Amino acid sequence: MNVISPQAAPPQASSKYDLGFARWVYANVEGGAKMSLCMQCGVCSGSCPLGDAEMDHGPRKLFMMVRAGMKDAVLGSTTIFNCTSCYNCVVRCPREVPVQYILQSLATKAVAEGYAEAVKTDNTRFSGAFNWSTAKFGRTDERLMTAKYYFSFGLIAAMKMSMANLKIALSMIKRKRMHLGAPHRIKGTGELRAILAKAAEIESSAGGGS
Amino acid sequence: MTSKKYTYYPGCSSEGSGSHLHVSTTAVAEKLGIELVELDDWNCCGASVAHVDGGYLPTVALSARNLALASGQGDQDIFITCAACYLKSHQANEKIRGGENMRGKVNDALGAAGMSYDGGLSVRHACEVFVNDIGLDAIKKQVSNPLDGLKVAGYVGCQTVRPFANTERGGNFDTYDDPSFLDDFIEACGAEAVEFDNKTSCCGGAIALMSPDKSMGLIKNILEEAKQKEADCIATPCPLCQQNVEMYQDMINKEFGTGYQIPVVFHTQIMAVAFGLDANKDAALDRNTIAADKLTKIANKN
Repeated sequence: MNVISPQAAPPQASSKYDLGFARWVYANVEGGAKMSLCMQCGVCSGSCPLGDAEMDHGPRKLFMMVRAGMKDAVLGSTTIFNCTSCYNCVVRCPREVPVQYILQSLATKAVAEGYAEAVKTDNTRFSGAFNWSTAKFGRTDERLMTAKYYFSFGLIAAMKMSMANLKIALSMIKRKRMHLGAPHRIKGTGELRAILAKAAEIESSAGGGS
Repeated sequence: MTSKKYTYYPGCSSEGSGSHLHVSTTAVAEKLGIELVELDDWNCCGASVAHVDGGYLPTVALSARNLALASGQGDQDIFITCAACYLKSHQANEKIRGGENMRGKVNDALGAAGMSYDGGLSVRHACEVFVNDIGLDAIKKQVSNPLDGLKVAGYVGCQTVRPFANTERGGNFDTYDDPSFLDDFIEACGAEAVEFDNKTSCCGGAIALMSPDKSMGLIKNILEEAKQKEADCIATPCPLCQQNVEMYQDMINKEFGTGYQIPVVFHTQIMAVAFGLDANKDAALDRNTIAADKLTKIANKN
């Protein structure tokens, strides 16, 4: 709500503002320490392919929200999930703030902290399907990963999504670009799972991402 | 010609949606004196999505296993064709090289499988190898079937150049906003590279796969400019760009009332044709869902 509007509600004392949040981000998010260098110039938001259309706040504004301690609004934002990883912001930032790395790391934190908005995003479902395939086979089986992703929305939604993409799938099969038959499986799946489990254990004990 | 040896990491798309990049790269590499030895038992790099649900360190660890396996195959550079595989592998390698803290954590994780990695290798993009190790003159020398009259829109995309193309460890091979390497490859093959303002615009990447509605507009911009510039085809080095820009054309036509039918090929498919190689066996032109008719015709006249 616009604060200068006469209809604006009075500020509420709430947990919406967590003044320790910025410090937590600086210490725990990849590239977070450099966020304090942000001078709010807006090159990142201006360079962002989906900033206008699909993000509730551009990266510039999101960084100010971090400073203001708006933890719930930041970790519940669509900004951190609609980053396409184009890296325009990273190479253009005049202060060399690694914007994409920070957004990516915030998305991981939002899911790990169980933010409802974060947990139900397409990205979290897609990432889950992707990691399922990697842990099971060692590689991404595009066909099974996609099916797993569709079914994360439920049976009926999965049927609809499959039908909408049927023509694409058939053309890929015809052109030898969709693998049929048993998934390609690496020899070292056990080894890979042991590495991933250990990495997850280290990450949770350190609590950090940088 | 004496060959230079690399450890080749083809990535998961090479077994599916990007199989034509794998086929054409293998064919072209042989002509250019690039000896590719596939990384044995390689795993997925995690691309732009694994971190969301998988966490930060596990995502680095995915690449770390590949790097550890590669160091067991010798100290030659790692050669990667896929933009996302390159990005994640190079990024992980630089993180491991960059600090003892990260190197220690990664090696603790690798230790769970009795593996280790010290950061001693270099991870390189195939296009950077073409530019820095092979050179345009050597590419031109292989051209026996120049692509006269073919107009190509060189679409680089994002992660092939960003954020490493203009760094020392990334080989300093081009700029982030206006790279010339792809146009140079196209022209070396005898085709015309049209001015293409969208050459480094984003197609939506993985967002286009999971939520096509969000990034159809981005892909449309790329297609529209290619049409305006009367390009016979779009050429890209990135398997995800190739897939997104090609496979969503029907969906975009339905949504926007357009009539795009623009072939999207890999730079290596173009090179394979110019090098006089077979249209299907080497250039894998039979794998494009929108047939690159003009390019195929040139290949078959040979």
